[in-house]
Amino acid sequence: MRIDSLILRTAVRLVLPLTVLLAIYAALNGHNAPGGGFIAGLVTTVGLCTYRMAFGERAFHRLFPVHPRWLVVAGLGLTLVVAIIPLLAGEPLLRSASTVLRLGGQELHLVSATVFDLGVLVVVVGVAVGMITRLGEELGP
Amino acid sequence: MTNHLLGLLVVIPMATSVVSVALVGRRRPQRVLGVLSLGSMLLLSLRWLLEIRDGDVLVSQMGAWPAPFGITLVFDSLSGLLICAGLVVALGCYVHGFSTLSPETERRYFHPLAQLLMVGVNQCFLTGDLFNLFVGFEIMLMASYGLLSIGGSRRQMGQAYKYLVLNLVASTVFVISAGLVYGMLGTLNLADLARIVSGRVASGEGLPTGFVAVSVLLLFVFGAKGAMFPLWFWLPDTYHTPPVAVAALFSGLLTKVGVYAVARTFPLVFAVGEARDVVTPLLVVSAGVTMFLGVLGAVSQHSVRRILAIHVISQVGYMVFGLSMMTTAGLAGALYYMVQHMVVKSSLFLCCGVMERHTGSDDLDKVGGLLKRDTFLGVSFFVAAMSLVGLPPLSGFFGKLVLIREGWGIHWWLSVIALLTGALTLLSMLKVWTTGFWLPPGSETSTPTGEPGGLRGAYVGIGFLVITALFIGLAAEPIYDIAFHAGEQLTDPTVYIEAVDPHGLVASLGGSG
Repeated sequence: MRIDSLILRTAVRLVLPLTVLLAIYAALNGHNAPGGGFIAGLVTTVGLCTYRMAFGERAFHRLFPVHPRWLVVAGLGLTLVVAIIPLLAGEPLLRSASTVLRLGGQELHLVSATVFDLGVLVVVVGVAVGMITRLGEELGP
Repeated sequence: MTNHLLGLLVVIPMATSVVSVALVGRRRPQRVLGVLSLGSMLLLSLRWLLEIRDGDVLVSQMGAWPAPFGITLVFDSLSGLLICAGLVVALGCYVHGFSTLSPETERRYFHPLAQLLMVGVNQCFLTGDLFNLFVGFEIMLMASYGLLSIGGSRRQMGQAYKYLVLNLVASTVFVISAGLVYGMLGTLNLADLARIVSGRVASGEGLPTGFVAVSVLLLFVFGAKGAMFPLWFWLPDTYHTPPVAVAALFSGLLTKVGVYAVARTFPLVFAVGEARDVVTPLLVVSAGVTMFLGVLGAVSQHSVRRILAIHVISQVGYMVFGLSMMTTAGLAGALYYMVQHMVVKSSLFLCCGVMERHTGSDDLDKVGGLLKRDTFLGVSFFVAAMSLVGLPPLSGFFGKLVLIREGWGIHWWLSVIALLTGALTLLSMLKVWTTGFWLPPGSETSTPTGEPGGLRGAYVGIGFLVITALFIGLAAEPIYDIAFHAGEQLTDPTVYIEAVDPHGLVASLGGSG
C-alpha cells in the first residue's frame, strides 16, 4: 500500500531517524526502567512501516534489503548465544555478566543482558515487518 | 540438586529451529539436524531420569535469580517421565514424517515448527511457575497453529480456526487467573504458592476470597487444553485434517500437557483445603463422562482416524480419574497411564498413516486384508491396539490395573465405568482390526495409491514406538517406581518445595502482595 503524498514523504524523511533514535533510547533505557528490546523493536517497525507507506515497496526494499526471515534467525541466534555462554562457565542459563565502567567521574553500568535485548529487538523487527509485508502482498499494491 | 544443564532441553530445540529456518527448502540437512536434536535431548533426559529414580529433584534457577523471583526449571519424577515419553513420541513421529509428509509440507517450515513445538512442550513440563507454564503453552500452541495450517487446504483452515479460537479463549482465561493468583498471594512460583496456601490452611486463616473461583477457572483452562468433558469438541476434527505425522504428534503431546498441568498444579496449590471440596467432584464427574461418552463416540465412528482421535478423549478420562483421587497411588497410576498412552496412541496414528498410504483412505468400508499385504503393519497395529485396550502383558493393562484398584475404594462406580470403557475400547479396536486387517477386502475397496516402497521412515517410526510401548509394559515395575515417587511428591510436596525454593522468601514476608 502506498500513499502518494509529498507531505507524508517529507515528514517521513524527518520522522524515520527520530523513531530510530527513540528506539535506541528505549532499548538502552530498558534494563532498569520502562523500555527494552521488545518495545524498541515495535517502535522501529512503526518507523519502517511509515517509510513503506510513503515511498512504496521498491524503496522499502532498498532500505531493507533482506528477507525478514533472516532477521528472525539472526536475532534468535544472538539471544541463544548470550543465553548459552554462562553454561560454559558453569553458571545457570541466562546469567547476566555485569561490570561498571568509570568514565571521567561518571559510572556506566554495562550488562550482557543488553545484548540479549538487542537480539529481541531484531526478532521483533523481523517478525513484525514480515507480517506486514505479507499482509501487503495479500492486499495487492 | 542443582543441574544447570536442564535448560538445554529448551535451548537445543530452539537452536535447531533457528538453524532449520536458515536451511528452509533443503530437506536432508534439516532432517539430520532434527533427529540429532530430538535424539540428544532424549539421551540427556533418560540420563537425568536414571539420576532421579530414587526421588531426587533436579533444579536450575535461570540467571541465578533465586526461586520466587526468577524462572525455575524443575526436573522431578513427574516432569522427567513425561519429558522422556514426549521425546520418544516426537522422535517416532518425526522419522515417520520423512516418508509420509508431502515434499511441499516439508519445505513449508515443518521442521522449524516441529522443533518449536518441542520447545513449548519441554518448557511446560520443566517450568516451576505458573506464568512460564502459560508461556510454554503459548509457544506450543503457536507452533501447533502453524503445523495445523501447513498445506492450507480450505477444510484444514476451517478446523485450524476452530482450534485457534478455543485456545485463544482458554489462554486469555489462563492469563487472567494467573493475574488473580498473583494479586491474592503475591507470587506465581508453584513451590512458593504451595507453601503459602498450605500454611494458610494449616493456621486456620483460610484461603483468600475468590481463590476457589480461580481454581475452577484454571480447571476450565487445563480442561480445554486436555480435552476433558465438556470441553472436548475441538479434538476429533483437529486430528482429522492435518498430515498424519502431525496428528500423531498432537495426539501424543497436546492433550497430555493439559493433563500434566492439572497434575502439577492442583494437588500442590489449587486443590488444597476448601478448594478441594469444589474441584474434586468436578474432576470425578468429568472423568466418568469423558471416559464413557468418549468411547461411545469411538464405537459409533467408521473412519480409523476419527476412531483413534475420539479414543484420545476417552483415554484422557482415565488420567483424570487417577488425578481426581488425589492419592499417591492414584496420581502415580495416572502418570504411568499418561506415559504409556502417549507412546501407544501416537504409534496407532502412525499405523493409520501407513494404512492411508496403502489404500488411499482410512474409511473402514474401503480398506481390508491389510494383514496379508503388510504383515509388519498388521502386527504393530495389533500390539499397539491391545496395549490401548489393556491386554495383560502390555502397557495399558498395568496402568488400568493401578487406577481401577485404587479407585475401587474411593469411587467404585468410576472403576466400573473404567472397566466398561475398557470393554468398549476392545470392541472398537477389534472392529478396526477385523475389517481393516483380517477380513478380505470388500468390493468397494479403493485401489492403492503410491508405491509400497518409500515407507522406510514410517516403519522405523512405528517400530520405535511399538518397541518402546512393549518395553513400558514389560518394564512396568521400574517405571511405576518413578511414577510412585512422583505421586508421593505430589501428595506430600515438601521435597519439591525444599528443592525449588529453600528460602521461602515471600512466604516469610507474610505472603500477601
